Amino acid sequence: MSEAPVADLETQVQGDLDFERLYRSSRDDVYAYAAGLLRDQAAAEEVTAAAFERAYRKRSRFDPERGSARAWLFGIARNAALDELRRRGRQAELSADPVDTASATGPGQSHHELRLLLDGALSRLEAGERELVSLKFFAGLSNGEIGRVVGISASNVGTRLNRTMDKLRKACDGTL
Amino acid sequence: MERSNDHRDLATALAELRPAPREEFARKLDKRAAAGFPRRSRSHRTLLSRLRDHLLVSGPGRLLFAGSGVVLVAIAVTTVLVAGNAETERDSRGGLLNDFSGFSESSEPAPQAAAPESATLESSDSAGGAEATAGRAHRDIERSAEIGLLAEPDNVADDSAAVFAAVHEARGIVLHSTTRSGKRAGAQFELLIPSAHLGDALAALSAIDEVRTRHEATEDITAPTVSTSEELRDSRARIEGLLAQLSAAETETEMDVIEAELARERRHAAGLRAQLDDLERRTDFSRVSVRIETDDSTTESSGSWGLGDAFHDAGHILGIAAGVTLIGLAVLAPLALIALLAWLLHRAWVRTQRKRALRNA
Repeated sequence: MSEAPVADLETQVQGDLDFERLYRSSRDDVYAYAAGLLRDQAAAEEVTAAAFERAYRKRSRFDPERGSARAWLFGIARNAALDELRRRGRQAELSADPVDTASATGPGQSHHELRLLLDGALSRLEAGERELVSLKFFAGLSNGEIGRVVGISASNVGTRLNRTMDKLRKACDGTL
Repeated sequence: MERSNDHRDLATALAELRPAPREEFARKLDKRAAAGFPRRSRSHRTLLSRLRDHLLVSGPGRLLFAGSGVVLVAIAVTTVLVAGNAETERDSRGGLLNDFSGFSESSEPAPQAAAPESATLESSDSAGGAEATAGRAHRDIERSAEIGLLAEPDNVADDSAAVFAAVHEARGIVLHSTTRSGKRAGAQFELLIPSAHLGDALAALSAIDEVRTRHEATEDITAPTVSTSEELRDSRARIEGLLAQLSAAETETEMDVIEAELARERRHAAGLRAQLDDLERRTDFSRVSVRIETDDSTTESSGSWGLGDAFHDAGHILGIAAGVTLIGLAVLAPLALIALLAWLLHRAWVRTQRKRALRNA
């Protein structure tokens, strides 16, 4: 679903937002971000739907001079996700895409171990760190876009991501 | 270098962990996207939250446009209502009173042309009096009238003399008169005519020259008359009582106290008597305003509607519109400021709550 390169999305004619193209290219990314942050399949689906619905209704207010369409969309998705967190007041357990432990045998055993360890490490991360990982590796946003979404500078995003990656690496020590 | 490789491996592993949406959900969302994201069933949502969503969806430009439209319509409606009321008031008072402003010598206040409603109000205001007069056959009515006559400039003096004659004939009183000769010739009279002769006097005055305007008004002053006379009767009874007490008083101190009370009650009775006299005078005599105008003196006010009148009316309406706008702004500005502050506070609060939710998650 996310086959359209990000650059293509920026070809907006005089500020007009090609919402259909934005939807087609970002649907799975928005879901991946929401699921990565919330770790709850049902909540992620709700947030994804709400984000696109809000974005669709606000599409006339999109200003290309203030950032890319994806950054704008993920800003809306982030608000929807944080509203969901506020509502729940707790971190839900991930019920989607559980790591298949049963198949973690044979030649690819170490790889499956890594996935298990990584999944556990992700769940132990702080929500803010997990959000950065989700935006970067699940949604495929650039550091600049992430900065615009979460309201910090791109270099700050890089620093925080590095620190988070170190945490994950330590958690997976021995399998990497 | 090793750390960089580790991160690359981690990134690859993370990419493999990327959650993917269920096919069923993706299909449903695609359907909703194709339909333009119709609203889901929100029957459980409050009207306020729906309104909030609607306001959020409407851009600031659209909101501003809609708000401006509402404000303009409100101003237009209020202006029409206020202008209409002003016109009605002018009609009910009659052009004569307004046109009197041309006479700078006029020092006597113009009599109030009481509308029929004022009589009703007067009666209903004094509830006690109204009860007392409920069964009363005789009504005390105050009458007033205004007559505007149109005369040739040369006839103003003769017409003025005829007015004096008519007043004399009706045994009335000329309270105030002004006569002006020359280019803007005209005259005005403030008269007191015995109410019993008012009909004849008005007929005589109307026969002097061409009648341009004529207004008559009445006001029922039965209630205040009855209540004042009752108060006076009570006061007199109290005086009688005090006199009896005085004659029976034995000590000097007692007599002093009663005499002081008596003096107070007599002053009160005198005031009531004066009030009653005034009310009776208002019933016995009717106030009549007569104005003699010539074409020259009235061209501006009563001639055919022209460009000057158009400018005058336009200025009048613009003035009312400006006043209404000013009042509206005076009311709306603080409300808008409060709403803006509330909105900003709400936004800041939501932002804080979202940050906290992320921190606590």
